[in-house]
Amino acid sequence: MLEKIKNNFNTQAWVLIPIAVAINIAVGQIVLVLKLPVYLDSIGTVLVAVLCGPWAGALTGALSNIIWGIAIDPGAFPWWPVAAMIGYMAGRMAQWGFFKSWWKVVVTGFVVALTAAIVSTPIGVYLFGGITASGSSFITAYLLQTGTGVWEAVFSTNFLVEPVDKITTAMIAFAIVLGLPKRTIGGYPKPEQVEVEGGANKNQLYIAIGVVVLLVLFAAFMLQRILGG
Amino acid sequence: MHERLSFHIKRESTLHNLNPLTKLTLVFSLLLTGFLSKWYWMPHLLTLLAILPLSFVGKVSREFFWTALRLILPAAGFLFIMQAFFQPVGDTIIFEFHFLNITQESLMFAFRNATRIIVMVSAFTLFLLTTHPSELMSDLSRRGLPGQFSYVIISTLQILPQIIAKAQTIIAAQRSRGLDTESSFLKRAGSVVPLVGPLVFGSLAEVEERAIAIEARGFTSKKEKTSLSEIPDEPFDKAARWVFITLAIISISFNFWLP
Repeated sequence: MLEKIKNNFNTQAWVLIPIAVAINIAVGQIVLVLKLPVYLDSIGTVLVAVLCGPWAGALTGALSNIIWGIAIDPGAFPWWPVAAMIGYMAGRMAQWGFFKSWWKVVVTGFVVALTAAIVSTPIGVYLFGGITASGSSFITAYLLQTGTGVWEAVFSTNFLVEPVDKITTAMIAFAIVLGLPKRTIGGYPKPEQVEVEGGANKNQLYIAIGVVVLLVLFAAFMLQRILGG
Repeated sequence: MHERLSFHIKRESTLHNLNPLTKLTLVFSLLLTGFLSKWYWMPHLLTLLAILPLSFVGKVSREFFWTALRLILPAAGFLFIMQAFFQPVGDTIIFEFHFLNITQESLMFAFRNATRIIVMVSAFTLFLLTTHPSELMSDLSRRGLPGQFSYVIISTLQILPQIIAKAQTIIAAQRSRGLDTESSFLKRAGSVVPLVGPLVFGSLAEVEERAIAIEARGFTSKKEKTSLSEIPDEPFDKAARWVFITLAIISISFNFWLP
């Protein structure tokens, strides 16, 4: 076990982690400027996870939230287990070969989103009674008003919000990996996890983007149904 | 965005001179007590009777109040309002506005949650105001935390302002080239790539160089490392740590007697 954790880390991995944390936070800020309905604040975490392994990813995620909490918004602090799980799960998926082509990356993003939704539900319920200070809490609040149980309400909100964000995050991370020189990737602990299958061709990219658009439409539809009924 | 990442303020005070681990123990005991105590007024009293006086002991009260005003109170206040309006508990309605209603119970609930958050955040703020991050890390690595962890935390705090500055430069540069960051949704979504791309690739390019540099300075060497600055750990610190832990345990175990 300890050996497995240790082989996630070499010097290049240790150097990547602080930069990845900073990337998470800086990209999070850029997206805030663009006013997009996603966070994209775990791109760095996913990068570390696929290049170095699940434990390095988990460490990056946890640190990002702790440092985000220290430096920018103290409210980010209690969510560090969620960020850690995102890193861990992305690393595991990459280990199982799910980070080698566009459609597999979409699957990874979806699994990561599901994990994030599951982990953040108890934190939201126990710490904040379901309603946090984030915008998506309006959905939770609405569900609670209509008599849905607090667990279901928080989980459905998370499940509606997370997939779009995490799939986009995973796809951007994949695009970054595609753009990195082979020589650089070779220096990280797990270069074989990102060896691209089938040349990552354009068709796959279009299919993947199509899936994301469908998911967005599905989320919008569900939202309408929830808010309408 | 923050111009300065370290909250730390260099002053001479009892709180500054305490060992970092002692202060960390204090923060976690406050946190555990605030969150786990069933007694309704506990977080409230902790803020008034422990955290505020400590900010005077640490001679950082002015900075503490400033942070509280700017950072802690807005966040807690927003949470309070959200919870008070939307938490569907209780039936003693105090205030009604169309479909929104505040009941006595939801108000109490919201107040407790907000004060808990205040305890958590202000305890950490106090800790950060009186402790330099590198002080904490060198003390922890002396106690057996692997040196790599201190490297990661310290260098993140150093790199972060640089990368945020780089992000702002990139936003400004791309805007001056005519990149649309303000109009329709699709255009804004389209500008993610030209903004994130240069930032990420630019930052990742440094990784290899840095790795070689720190490797050359014995980063992974197994030899025991010495430290330039010694962090004092007086008997008083050890005693204080035990006192904090005991107080936290006592206050949590009082829950059993509460109905």
